Amino acid sequence: MALIAIIDDDPDILDASSLILQTKGFEVITASNPDDGYKIVKENKPDVIILDVIMNEPDDGFFLAQKFRREKIMTPIIMYTSISKTLGMQFDKGEMVPVDEFVEKPISPEQLVAKVLKFVKQPVEK
Amino acid sequence: MVSYSKAKILVIDDEDALRGAVKRILEREGFSVVTAENGARGISLGTTDEFDLALIDLKMPDYSGLDVLREIRKHKPNTVCFIATAYASYETAVEATKMGADGYILKPFTPEELLNHLNSGFKKRVLILEAEALKNEREARLLEIAFERTRLNTVIKSLADGVLVVNTDGEVVYYNNAALKYLNLQDIVIGRPILEELPREIQDLIFANFTSEITEKKSFSVEVEIKPKHELVVEATLSPVLRQSGKLSGVVIVIKNISEFKKVEHLKSQFVSMVAHELKAPVAATLGFINIILNKEMNLSREQEVDFLSRSRVRLGSLLNMVNDLLDISRIEMKTVMREIKKLDMNQIISDTLGMFTADIKKKDLTVIFEPKENMPEVRADHGEISRLVTNLVSNAIKYNKQSGRVEITCCQQKNYAVLEISDTGIGLRKEEQEKLWGEFYRAKNEFTKDITGTGLGMPIVKRIVDAYSGKIEVESKYTEGTRFKVYLPYNLTDDELNN
Ligand SMILES: Nc1ncnc2c1ncn2[C@@H]1O[C@H](COP(=O)(O)OP(=O)(O)OP(=O)(O)O)[C@@H](O)[C@H]1O
Ligand SMILES: [Mg+2]
Repeated sequence: MALIAIIDDDPDILDASSLILQTKGFEVITASNPDDGYKIVKENKPDVIILDVIMNEPDDGFFLAQKFRREKIMTPIIMYTSISKTLGMQFDKGEMVPVDEFVEKPISPEQLVAKVLKFVKQPVEK
Repeated sequence: MVSYSKAKILVIDDEDALRGAVKRILEREGFSVVTAENGARGISLGTTDEFDLALIDLKMPDYSGLDVLREIRKHKPNTVCFIATAYASYETAVEATKMGADGYILKPFTPEELLNHLNSGFKKRVLILEAEALKNEREARLLEIAFERTRLNTVIKSLADGVLVVNTDGEVVYYNNAALKYLNLQDIVIGRPILEELPREIQDLIFANFTSEITEKKSFSVEVEIKPKHELVVEATLSPVLRQSGKLSGVVIVIKNISEFKKVEHLKSQFVSMVAHELKAPVAATLGFINIILNKEMNLSREQEVDFLSRSRVRLGSLLNMVNDLLDISRIEMKTVMREIKKLDMNQIISDTLGMFTADIKKKDLTVIFEPKENMPEVRADHGEISRLVTNLVSNAIKYNKQSGRVEITCCQQKNYAVLEISDTGIGLRKEEQEKLWGEFYRAKNEFTKDITGTGLGMPIVKRIVDAYSGKIEVESKYTEGTRFKVYLPYNLTDDELNN
């Protein structure tokens, strides 16, 4: 069964996204800071990583993504961005931002599930 | 200017008859005449008074007319002198002219001859005086201009803004030291080409807008980052200098240091984006919950719905607190609310504040020690602001305390200051946490603070209030052991200081 790792320091976001994905039949592991996030990814080898851009510090998410790639962990990464594009921050996929997809907060079940399904097959629903 | 009819004439001759005759003739013409019967007298009169004309006899018993001429010339160079002589010889004539005689009158002369000579002599005198006046005037003007220049120079040199003037060949015509500093150049040499050493942006502006065809006196400005990271940012304003003919003769570049302004601007936009992010987090969380609740496919149980709704309520509540704190900050910064300066009883404010936290104190089983000092002088300040200051500090001392911990508060006078001390036996702050404490939205993240909610605006508000009263705040803390805040509020602030 597909395993999704969610790393975000906002417990409400963690619970909400976990619930959505669990309802769709995914298995979910969570971490609320970059260090724990790194650990659960190393230990559990998830199929998809969902990562928040800003945790303790701005760009924590980017740095963690870069660290994964440096260590040849090529798991697809979906990044939560809570920074609106109107603030002038434009994220582009690339070397600096080695992520595969973006999901803008607030999350909606349809959107999140659709993005995750780009990388893994829909599990047989419970 | 002299008038011919009033001309002053000195007649020097040892021959009484001639002297008398000449005097009569000239006085008849309206001249004012002074006579001298010998050379000595002639010299003394001619060198003290300024005569328009002098008629000097060449041969006199005491002095030669040439000596008299020399003396008068020496002291009164503008007096037009005639030598009169019966012994006309080419040599004496030449010598007399060399010594500065303006004319040569042969004796005996008729009244007409005399008047003719004097007439042309007088014309000469007028010209001399005019030239003299002109020269004086020009010298005065030159002095004035020179003075004006040095004064202007001093003014420009002491300007805070940089000034650089460049001619159409791109050579430096003028500059001041501020220009050197703000363009970050080693040196500028008058007369040397400078354009290539100027920042790209200024060069571009010059080439694009200051061609020989311009006719309009229009200025252009650019912002240039001379040193990165807002260390030195300048605004250069370029204005054309036009000749009388309307042709471009050069460009005046005024360079203003706007680094501070840029820094503030940068901080401000950083603050705005930080605020936006902080505001967005609870909104995003809440909307996420609502999206799930409203999604049919999610099939939430009633308990799950209630859980998400109550968590949404908590997030919205903290959002409201944050907005209120932000409004406080902006109120303090913009000084929109008039302060109501009153004499405040600090002990009363502290007791009132503690009263508001009774429930929290009980819940944590805290021991609060506060013994109001007698004779504590009143502090002149706005009640709302000082209450907010105390409330934020007390709130933290309780919030970041351990179960059954202690909070100790003292307030006393130390010289010119009211000193408020609040210490707790709470979780404390690491060194690096203490440094960031005053930043907006900063919240220490460690194992103890995980479950404590807050917006991180309490301390920034405290800092602003303390600053607004020209006070001081100090923090002393040991991680896991406790924290002490010390606030100093000056007593002797004037009304003006209190109201701005
Ligand atoms: N007395 C204290 N003991 C330990 N840590 C403290 C204390 N006071 C403040 N802090 C630390 O400083 C941070 C900032 O404090 P501040 O009062 O600005 O924010 P807050 O308490 O988190 O939120 P609020 O805006 O609701 O007051 C806190 O999050 C906490 O980590
Ligand atoms: Mg606080």
